[in-house]
Amino acid sequence: MSDAKTERLINLTLALLATKRYLKKSEILSNVFGYEGSQEAKERMFERDKDDLRSLGIEIEVGDLDIFFEDEPGYRIPQKSYELSVPQLTGRELALLSIASKHWNDSILAPSAQSGIRKLQSLGIPAEVDFDFRMKYRFENPTALLDDITRAINQKSKITFSYDSKKLQVRHVEAYRVLFWNGFWYLIGMDLDRQDIRIFKISRIVSTITLAKKKNDYQVPENFDSKSFLPKSNPNILTRARIDIRKDTALILRNRGTLIQQGVEYDTFEISYENQLAFLRELIWYETNVKVIEPLDLRDALVELLSGSIR
Amino acid sequence: MSETALDRTARALDLVPYLLEHQGISTRELADVFGVSEKQINEDLVLIHMCGLPGYTPLELIDMYYEDGYVTVSDPQSLNKPRKMNRSEMTSLLVSLDLMATLRSDEIASEIAILQEKLRTSLQVENPIVVIQDASASPFLKNLEDAISKSAPVRIIYLSGSKDERTERIILPLELYIDNKATYLSAWCQKSNADRTFRLDRIISCETVDLQNFTSTIKSSQNSFETGQIIIEIDSAARNFIEDNRAIIAKIRERVGDQPLIVELSAIDSRWLIHTVLGYGGLIKVLEPAQIGEEIADKAAAICASYQPK
Repeated sequence: MSDAKTERLINLTLALLATKRYLKKSEILSNVFGYEGSQEAKERMFERDKDDLRSLGIEIEVGDLDIFFEDEPGYRIPQKSYELSVPQLTGRELALLSIASKHWNDSILAPSAQSGIRKLQSLGIPAEVDFDFRMKYRFENPTALLDDITRAINQKSKITFSYDSKKLQVRHVEAYRVLFWNGFWYLIGMDLDRQDIRIFKISRIVSTITLAKKKNDYQVPENFDSKSFLPKSNPNILTRARIDIRKDTALILRNRGTLIQQGVEYDTFEISYENQLAFLRELIWYETNVKVIEPLDLRDALVELLSGSIR
Repeated sequence: MSETALDRTARALDLVPYLLEHQGISTRELADVFGVSEKQINEDLVLIHMCGLPGYTPLELIDMYYEDGYVTVSDPQSLNKPRKMNRSEMTSLLVSLDLMATLRSDEIASEIAILQEKLRTSLQVENPIVVIQDASASPFLKNLEDAISKSAPVRIIYLSGSKDERTERIILPLELYIDNKATYLSAWCQKSNADRTFRLDRIISCETVDLQNFTSTIKSSQNSFETGQIIIEIDSAARNFIEDNRAIIAKIRERVGDQPLIVELSAIDSRWLIHTVLGYGGLIKVLEPAQIGEEIADKAAAICASYQPK
């Protein structure tokens, strides 16, 4: 059953691709192998097949034809719209692409990366590799929600989902972009309840994602720059701390700081940091071998953080 | 697995042009490339073999020859070119490339940039996925990649975070990977005679060594600092601990109502556990082993005490 249908779809594609002129429906139904049964059954079959091929992204052109065909429409698949056309890739570029496509392991991005690469490898470009790419990437495996979100972004349909957070569980969002940030997946978009751009961690979406029926319902702002919404490195917001470090300890900290004074038991260093909590966690590693001198709020924050662990 | 006729059609349409450029390929390799079983590939080939153009005489059929598991196509009829890529294929490839570009800071990065530009202008697709990686570039990356591909040892000077010491060691690099924001190297370490993981940003020098200096003396490997079963309690405000440390989460126990999460960890370095938990300010509690919980409280008290006016 499935065999017969597959065979017919392939034959139909071949025939429509091979023809320069439009093929009349009657020609197709009587000449393309696989159309059987009553006239009505054949026609229904053909209608479904056309829809199926179109769902594969194959463009079937319908021609109005000339007067000789009277009202019978004609069909063909223009080679130009069917065939892959990419700029001339070098063998080295093809090799780069195929190496890149292997980063996804078994995640849901893998099958489409793999089939994309297969098509490029069917162009007859000899791939050549003379470099060794050894870097592996460990990342959070994206869930199937990723597909729903990218579809929503592509067709600009608003989405609704439940989010694991302290308040406001259900979110209504105009999705702008998916962020793959340091190995984790995020959604950035307009939170319609808060009327502000927000970032959501996809792994914390606890429901399925519902796409609104309406398409082209919003626009992603022109030149939208996701990066500008991330808490980011900014040398202007670096804070300088003075830290006493016991002799011969905290080597990594010493390595990135500036020595300002040598002492008997301790040396004093100046060290810049961006994120207070991250810096405190770093300092904790050295226990009592390091001592915050300045700023005072860093010192207080350290004591307060640790107090939480005292019984 | 139930596959629709449409899935099979799509694969068949891709198979023929692929075969045309890979004449004499084995069905096993084909199965691998197309991500299906060899049996499935064989069934596909039988089917394709029967397809062709109206008329369907041998001259009009797709002319294909397969024997002993190897396939050649001599006449593909009208299927001589691959189909255009669909949106998700284009997106996946662009994202793959974006990712690779963020992982490199050497000359390959500039080649990738040219390729990205080339594809962007020709594919004309709005890419919904943005890749951002704050990886720190290491000047030794290329050295280490070379060492891995040649199986060559290198001598490094390393600042160990957990032991707070500076050591020189000869290592045999095995694998490089990025996890979260840091780049790691796993390598066989002569000093400890075991596999060890190093953070690239803590390697302060790296040079190739002569193979003659490299002897793999067998010492008993020591894992004495590893803990046994660990059970911790996590407040929901600290759940990023779970997300950031997937590799060591053994089990997340069923949560009852609003109770905090109870998580079992696999054996890890107790020093790491103590200092990491301290950094969560009480949002994570070590339930087992109990003495680690006590050690954490003692350390916190000791550090706080050092700030008390004397």
